[in-house]
Amino acid sequence: MLDPAHGGTDPGARGSAGIREADIVLELTAQVRHGLESQGFQVLQTRSGNENPSFDDRSALANAQTGAIFVSLHVSSTGLSGTVRVYTMADMPLPSTTGGLIPWDQAQASYLPLSRKLGDTVQGELTQRFKGSPMNVQSAYVRQLRTTAAPAIAVELSSVAMEDKADLDRMLPGVADAIVRGIVTFRPSYVTPGMPGNAPGAKP
Amino acid sequence: MNSQWRLGIAIGLVVAVLAAAIYFPILKRRVKKQAQVQQKSEEQARLELVQSLNAATNEPKVKAQLFWAADAEYSDLVANTVELPLSNDPVLRSKQVLNTLLAGPVDSELRTLPPDAALLAFYILPDGTAVADFSDAMANSIPSGVQSEQFAVDSITRTLEANVPQVRRLRILIHGQAVETLAGHLDLTGTFPVSTKPVPPASAPAGVPATK
Repeated sequence: MLDPAHGGTDPGARGSAGIREADIVLELTAQVRHGLESQGFQVLQTRSGNENPSFDDRSALANAQTGAIFVSLHVSSTGLSGTVRVYTMADMPLPSTTGGLIPWDQAQASYLPLSRKLGDTVQGELTQRFKGSPMNVQSAYVRQLRTTAAPAIAVELSSVAMEDKADLDRMLPGVADAIVRGIVTFRPSYVTPGMPGNAPGAKP
Repeated sequence: MNSQWRLGIAIGLVVAVLAAAIYFPILKRRVKKQAQVQQKSEEQARLELVQSLNAATNEPKVKAQLFWAADAEYSDLVANTVELPLSNDPVLRSKQVLNTLLAGPVDSELRTLPPDAALLAFYILPDGTAVADFSDAMANSIPSGVQSEQFAVDSITRTLEANVPQVRRLRILIHGQAVETLAGHLDLTGTFPVSTKPVPPASAPAGVPATK
């Protein structure tokens, strides 16, 4: 599940040169999607155009899938230009499940170990391509990740403050390739209790 | 249409115009008053800053730790030691360090919070949960992004952790309201952990007395 953040009336981060986060992440989503589909993954998007589904609607799309991986795409206002950071949700207490149901607000909690593994794998690929990026995944209280019941990461490029949009555009193929390679590497380790040996996200 | 109808409509129009003429200045005054109330609450917050700092001038200066960005690229947060006359009261002390944090470092590129943001209210619940209510500028003027929003919250929680041991966790409100995110990314629906260390005796608040 690819999640181009913001959209509609919410442009996300905006640069002085007119760069809008909502537009860049949609372009990046198309490139990641192409790469994942060429690897045999079935890809869904939380939005395909200039609309802005709620955080819960986006999570609901992912939570309705079996064996999904959730990647939320962002462009920051800050940070060293030309670097990329991967975030997982910060520590959450494990929810007390009632009748096998997970509280919506804590949906990410039991997936955090898998999210960190995915995040480290993708961050490793990104750091090889974009010098100055962190070596390991970071943790943050990302609203979108909290309600997502799947291995989930947010990938954030720096930044909309670039003076020329072409510089940001040049980053996109490398970022997309790193995400795809990270997911391909992560895939064998993604085995949930309900589906031993399955390759989640792959087409049947 | 007969003449009676025409007369009725004409009277109705005159009454409507007169009513609008009377009501418009009243509406204008109400809108102006509302704007003044909002401005006043932010002015009160700034006044409280000055008062809280003045109230503590009799207190001994201690070395407080404030967390700002290490560099303009936000590579990390670093502790900066600042000598402040801090109160022993945890709420007043929290207001003092947070208002100093909001005032920002000398180098404006290292600030983590918007320069026009103000702390409107701060209190601590018996279980150690602190509630900080910031003005709208905290959400509207902060650079949007996971990194910048997390840095803003981290700078607040780490500053409280270093200086006010009574605060265990923090809830952030924007202009008195619970909001979903700070500026589109960071989750403000829950609390942020501040400290899990044991609370020291009331007579020994955090902060190292400054040597003269």
